[in-house]
Amino acid sequence: MSKSSSQSFPAQRCTDCGTLYGHRMFVCRECLAETLTDVSLEGEGTVYARTTIRVPGSDHQGEEPFEVAVIDVGSDMSVRVTARVENNPELKPGDSVEFIERRDGVFYFESS
Amino acid sequence: MRDVAIVGTGTTPFGEFEGGVKEMGVKAASRALQSCGVTSEDVNALFLGNFVAGMLEGQEALAPLVADSIGLTGIPTMKTEGACASSGIAFRRAYQAIRTGEHDVIIAMGVENMTDADTTEFTRALGSAADYTTDGVTGVTFPGFYGLMLDRYLHEYDATREQIAQVSVKNRRNGAANPRARFQSEITVDDVLKSRLIADPLRLYDCCPAADGGAAVILAASDIAETFTEEPIPVLGSGHATGRSAAYRYDDLTTFEATSIAAESAYEQADVRPSDIDVVELHDCFSAAEVGDSEDLGFFEKGNGAAAVEAGRTAVDGEIPINPSGGLLAKGHPVGATGIGQIYEICEQLRGSHENQVEGAEIGLTHNLGGSGAIGTVTILGGPTHV
Repeated sequence: MSKSSSQSFPAQRCTDCGTLYGHRMFVCRECLAETLTDVSLEGEGTVYARTTIRVPGSDHQGEEPFEVAVIDVGSDMSVRVTARVENNPELKPGDSVEFIERRDGVFYFESS
Repeated sequence: MRDVAIVGTGTTPFGEFEGGVKEMGVKAASRALQSCGVTSEDVNALFLGNFVAGMLEGQEALAPLVADSIGLTGIPTMKTEGACASSGIAFRRAYQAIRTGEHDVIIAMGVENMTDADTTEFTRALGSAADYTTDGVTGVTFPGFYGLMLDRYLHEYDATREQIAQVSVKNRRNGAANPRARFQSEITVDDVLKSRLIADPLRLYDCCPAADGGAAVILAASDIAETFTEEPIPVLGSGHATGRSAAYRYDDLTTFEATSIAAESAYEQADVRPSDIDVVELHDCFSAAEVGDSEDLGFFEKGNGAAAVEAGRTAVDGEIPINPSGGLLAKGHPVGATGIGQIYEICEQLRGSHENQVEGAEIGLTHNLGGSGAIGTVTILGGPTHV
C-alpha cells in the first residue's frame, strides 16, 4: 500500500465487474450491479482542473473564497473526483495534491 | 415522417421587468398567435419550457395556466424541464409530435422570471441543475464549473485569456443593436479583464446576466404551413442528447458530448455540414462556453475557437456569425426561455429582418445547453427558399 504520509482514499469497487468509483454510487454504471465494496486507494492525486469560488451558493455562504478542483486520485489505479483543496490558490493542472479526509460527503485535499 | 415549419413567432424583450412568469408567458404566446393566421381553434397542443418558477415564484402548472389565459382549454399541455435547455426540449417535443403525425399545430414556448429573486434564492435555484451529491455539496457553482472548464482549456490549447474575453466584447457589441437585449452597451477587453473574479479564471463580464422573458413559436405540418403564413421557416434538423452530470464525470472537460451528439443528429437529418450554416445562436452562458460550443458544433477544430473570435471570424460580417443577437452574454439568460429565444432570433435572420442581419442567411442553427453539459438540443432552420 501507500508508502507516503497521505491518507488512503476511500473508493468503491463493483463486486461484479471490478469498476472503481470515487464519488458514491448506488449501482455500478458499467454493469448495474448493486453491490459495491469499500476499497482503499493511495491518497496521492494530480490536479486535472481547478478554480476559486468567489461567489458561492447559499449552502457555502461565508466560506469564500475557496478552491475546488477535479482531481485524479490513486496511483496505478485512479479515480476522478470533484474536491476541495485546502491550502493553495495557485494550483495548476498537473500539480500534485494529497488526500486529507472525506467530511460530510466532500473530499478534501491539500498541496503535496 | 412529415416535414415541419415554424409559422408564427412572438417574444417579450429579455431584461428586468415587473411582471411575473404568467404575464410574460401569456404575452409571448399571444404575440406568436397574432404574428400569423393561426387561431386558437387551430392549436392542438402547447409545450412550455420553464426551469425555476416553482422554486422562485412558487408557480407550477405553467403550461395549462398560460393556455387557459389565451383561450386554449381542451387541448393537451405540458411543461418540459431540462435546466437551461428547458425550452429547447419543448421545441423538440413539439417538432416530433407534428413530425410523427400526432398533432398538426403546436405552440412551443419558454418563459422565466428571475430578477425579482434575491441572490441567495437565485443561486440556490440555478444550482439545482448541478448534481448536488457531488459537485453541489463540494461547492461548485455554474461559474465554477465553467471556471474549471476554462482552466483546463487554457492548459490544453494555445489560447489566451484575452481571446476568451473577446467573446464578451463581440456579444456586447451585437447586443447594443438588439432592442430585445438586456445589455445594450459595448465593453472592451480591458473592461472584461479588470472586472472582478467570480470563479477563476472567469470574471464578471465573462458571465451572462439573468433576465426575465418569454418567447414562443408556432409549429405546423409543412403541408398546411402556407395557410398560416407567407413565410414559413422549415425545420431542417433537430437533435437532443444527454451528456455528463458533473465536472468529475468528464474525461475531457473542454468538450461536451451532449452538444456534439445533438449536433451530429441535426446535421445528418438536415443533410448539411457545419460549413453550410450561415448564422448561429449558441449557448454562451459564459465566454468560455461559446468557444467550446463553437468547436463542439464543428465550426472550428478543437483549440482553434478562441483565435477565431479574435480574428473576427464569428462577427456578424465574419465567415460564421455567432450570436448576432448578443447571445446570453448580452441579450440575457432567462433560463427556461433561452432556447426558444434563440429560435426567435434565427427566424428573424432567415426572414432577413434582424437588427444585426447576416447578409444572405439561408440556413441557421441554434444550440441550447442545460446543466453541467448534461442536456443539449440543436435545431437547424432554413430560409423561405428551403420550403
